[in-house]
Amino acid sequence: MNNITFIQDILSNFFFIAGMFFVFLGMLGLYRLPDVYNRLHATTKIGTLGAFGVMMGIVVKLGFGPMGIKAITVGLFLLLTAPVAAHMISRAAHRHGVGLCEESTLDDYGKTYCPMNSSCAVKHEETIEDEHDQM
Amino acid sequence: MNTIHLLDIALIFMVLSIIPCIHRIIKGPTIPDRVIAVDALATVIVVMLGVYSFVQESVFFMDVALVISIIAFVGTVTIAKYLDEGVVF
Amino acid sequence: MKRYVLYSIALGFVWCFVHGVVNLSNFLIGAMIGPFLIRPFKELYSFGEEISYREKLNRIPKQIHYFSILIVEIVKASIVVAKIVLQPKIDIKPGIIAVPIRAKTDVGITAIANTITLTPGTLTIDVSNDKSALYVHCIDIDNAKEIRDSIKDDLEEYVLEAFE
Repeated sequence: MNNITFIQDILSNFFFIAGMFFVFLGMLGLYRLPDVYNRLHATTKIGTLGAFGVMMGIVVKLGFGPMGIKAITVGLFLLLTAPVAAHMISRAAHRHGVGLCEESTLDDYGKTYCPMNSSCAVKHEETIEDEHDQM
Repeated sequence: MNTIHLLDIALIFMVLSIIPCIHRIIKGPTIPDRVIAVDALATVIVVMLGVYSFVQESVFFMDVALVISIIAFVGTVTIAKYLDEGVVF
Repeated sequence: MKRYVLYSIALGFVWCFVHGVVNLSNFLIGAMIGPFLIRPFKELYSFGEEISYREKLNRIPKQIHYFSILIVEIVKASIVVAKIVLQPKIDIKPGIIAVPIRAKTDVGITAIANTITLTPGTLTIDVSNDKSALYVHCIDIDNAKEIRDSIKDDLEEYVLEAFE
């Protein structure tokens, strides 16, 4: 019996530390990556997995009591809504005129919704310049 | 003793994670950058509330975490719709 | 009527999970509140189509298989992006590519778009007007054809099995 508690302790602490480290990496990606879409990659994937990991740590430690079940609810909610929010905000950013960063190789989406006005499909140089100034 | 160490580690990590978010919110070159940063800040606060609820052994902070995640999602979608179409509804 | 029963059962489970205690009385309370919640938002639930319980039940093993694959993919995706973040000098070639899809129903398209967002290095931006292609932002394009093939062969098979 004591043995099982010990394994539970180690496993849940591992989940906690790994989850918080992943959240930290996601926020570091938010700081370091060059443009809106790449930052979305960092916060959507790594941040969500980190939050889910912390919630799994709580479940492993406490079992399926009231707190464990609420932790599962919060984790699943984050996992379900993060892709939807990322899709909405990236679509709005592209239509609002935020360009891709200068390392980008191709852009299939830009020519679909405004074929006449090509200025909104190409990269916006001033955005990139601003970014390089403040980095 | 173990749980106190856990709370310390969690708070240090989360404060370190909040610093880039604040930087993005203040200096982010475009509006979507700021929206993403607010969303990420909500995720960090949800994780913090989860750990705090576990350490304090109280269920109620988990309700707060659920409500904050719901409000962050609805706010992000609302601002995205406003940027895209100019109206919310 | 069948849809009211199905969604009431689902909402009963949601009520249990939000309440924190899963037992029969909580489930019944949630299932009884459910129809009053479904009624005002009727057009969101596509009441026009016919469904059968047997078909929904037959899909559950495939959906469990799909979710197990999804969890492995999410962990892989996070490690890929974490490696990119931890590089001393960030060296990436991002871009947006169009990926043709075979899914036809709205549920299938939503499922595959969310799956693409949670898998390595890709993020869905929009669906084309005729619902035949997705626009996907990739964090590192080596070979656009390879990414299209990997989405079509690996992920779309499971989504089509589970949700169409």
